[in-house]
Amino acid sequence: MGTVEFAGVSKTFGGKTVVQALAEVDLRIGEGEFVALLGPSGCGKSTLLNILAGFEQLTSGSVRFDSRAISNPGPDRGVVFQEASLLPWLTVWDNVVFGPKVQGVARSIYEPKAEAILKIVGLEGFKKALPVQLSGGMRQRVGIARVLVMEPRALLMDEPFGALDAQTRLSMQQLLLDVWQKLKTTVLFVTHDIDEAILLADRVCVMSARPGRISREIPITLPRPRSIDDLTNPAFIQFKAAIMTEMRGAHGAH
Amino acid sequence: MPLAGQLSSSLLAFILPVSLIAFWQLSGTNGVIFGGALPTPDRVWTAWVNWAFGTPTFGLNPYVGTWLQNVIFSAERVAKGFLVAIATGVPLGIAIGWSRLFAKLVDPTIQWLRPVPITAWLPISIAIFGIRDFGAIFLITLGAFYPIVINATQGARAVDKNWIRAAQMMGASQAATLWRVVLPAAMPSIFTGLRIGLGIGWTAVIVAEMVAVKSGLGYVLWDAYYVGRMDIVLADMVSIGLLGYLSDRLIVALSGWLLTWHRLQSFNQ
Ligand SMILES: Nc1ncnc2c1ncn2[C@@H]1O[C@H](COP(=O)(O)OP(=O)(O)O)[C@@H](O)[C@H]1O
Ligand SMILES: [Mg+2]
Repeated sequence: MGTVEFAGVSKTFGGKTVVQALAEVDLRIGEGEFVALLGPSGCGKSTLLNILAGFEQLTSGSVRFDSRAISNPGPDRGVVFQEASLLPWLTVWDNVVFGPKVQGVARSIYEPKAEAILKIVGLEGFKKALPVQLSGGMRQRVGIARVLVMEPRALLMDEPFGALDAQTRLSMQQLLLDVWQKLKTTVLFVTHDIDEAILLADRVCVMSARPGRISREIPITLPRPRSIDDLTNPAFIQFKAAIMTEMRGAHGAH
Repeated sequence: MPLAGQLSSSLLAFILPVSLIAFWQLSGTNGVIFGGALPTPDRVWTAWVNWAFGTPTFGLNPYVGTWLQNVIFSAERVAKGFLVAIATGVPLGIAIGWSRLFAKLVDPTIQWLRPVPITAWLPISIAIFGIRDFGAIFLITLGAFYPIVINATQGARAVDKNWIRAAQMMGASQAATLWRVVLPAAMPSIFTGLRIGLGIGWTAVIVAEMVAVKSGLGYVLWDAYYVGRMDIVLADMVSIGLLGYLSDRLIVALSGWLLTWHRLQSFNQ
């Protein structure tokens, strides 16, 4: 459940200027694996994630999710957007239950789930608030909650903490570590932050740009459960050094 | 804003109209200005009080005690025409904004018909509906329809792409996406269209009643002009202005209540 297989995936955007965003990308993600896509902005990270989400169509190659080809977005792949992208006219509660509601899930089933998840993300006191009344970090907690309530087989997160201040980002990373430790859902996590990639992931895929491809995959063998304290761990620093070398190399290549 | 500030700022709104009325009053002699072409405000006021509160004379004098009746005639026509315009304009606008195919199919026709002013539709309207309510309602609907459909289209086109992606990711069907995302997201723009449309609706009802029906404020306006009752003409104009203003306030209040999220958002930016 929740396995992903990109095979020879290329994506070219047409229009006035043709952009090859991805070239022959191969990537497998096992059940319950946490994979981080790391690379400079514009290297095709979002494009890769959007293809798996069903938001974009690939130009050539194939993507399979639990051995099936992807045609549309769906609740089996929960997406967390960079700016949360909550529906601003709905309260926190209505945003969180939006998925189950439109899927026709019975209220008696989704209500206790939503209650429990709001408690996990620490928003039980904000059910009636509108997104605009929340801080960026709280909004992103709602963005995570509305996805978790659907119990997706994979979580696709596109720089979800990229717009947050450093302190909030740390607390969100800790939250995600804790949640993942319990759920062990497959995660594809896009980031341009090296620390974040190492802290969260089982494997870091370093991407290089023009055309976008995965230049190297680095398994992160730091023990679980992890916490933000690991950021200063000597083993952590070693991974960081290795990835920085790799990224410099990827840059120097063009 | 502190209360004192609010009071003084709403008092500011009265400076201009009050001085205009005072100027108009003071420049008159024997209750008329422009050598008798127009009555002064006190005469207009007296005429209105009589028109509004006098005991009806059943046909002998149409300008005694018939104000409310005529207000209701006009307001009801505007309400009916406006509602039909909403019921057709909003769904059509959303559909045009949502579907490229639908836009190509209908939008050009709407854009070609739009420059034809509602007054130009009068003969056709009378030919089809005769001197009856339908004609007036048809013109109001037509006038209000264009701003509503155009603003709904614009609203539907400007929906944040990620809201739609998020809804689809959460399992929303196309119908659910339209109903639960595109429509609410377009609401602020739709309300802009409603306000413009309602204003045009009031213009349309007056025009229609002048020509195509025999009741309402537009009819009274033209009729009073023919019999030289300029005091009633002016009282009628003020009544139209007031009704237009009040109905606009109603829409604004409704949007303030429905679109709290939007107001807060614009406030935070
Ligand atoms: N819809 C689009 N149309 C044209 N070009 C696009 C589109 N989306 C992305 N691109 C281009 O594809 C490349 C990869 O973009 P993206 O996947 O967003 O990168 P990243 O997420 O790594 O910053 C960039 O050069 C970007 O300009
Ligand atoms: Mg991106």
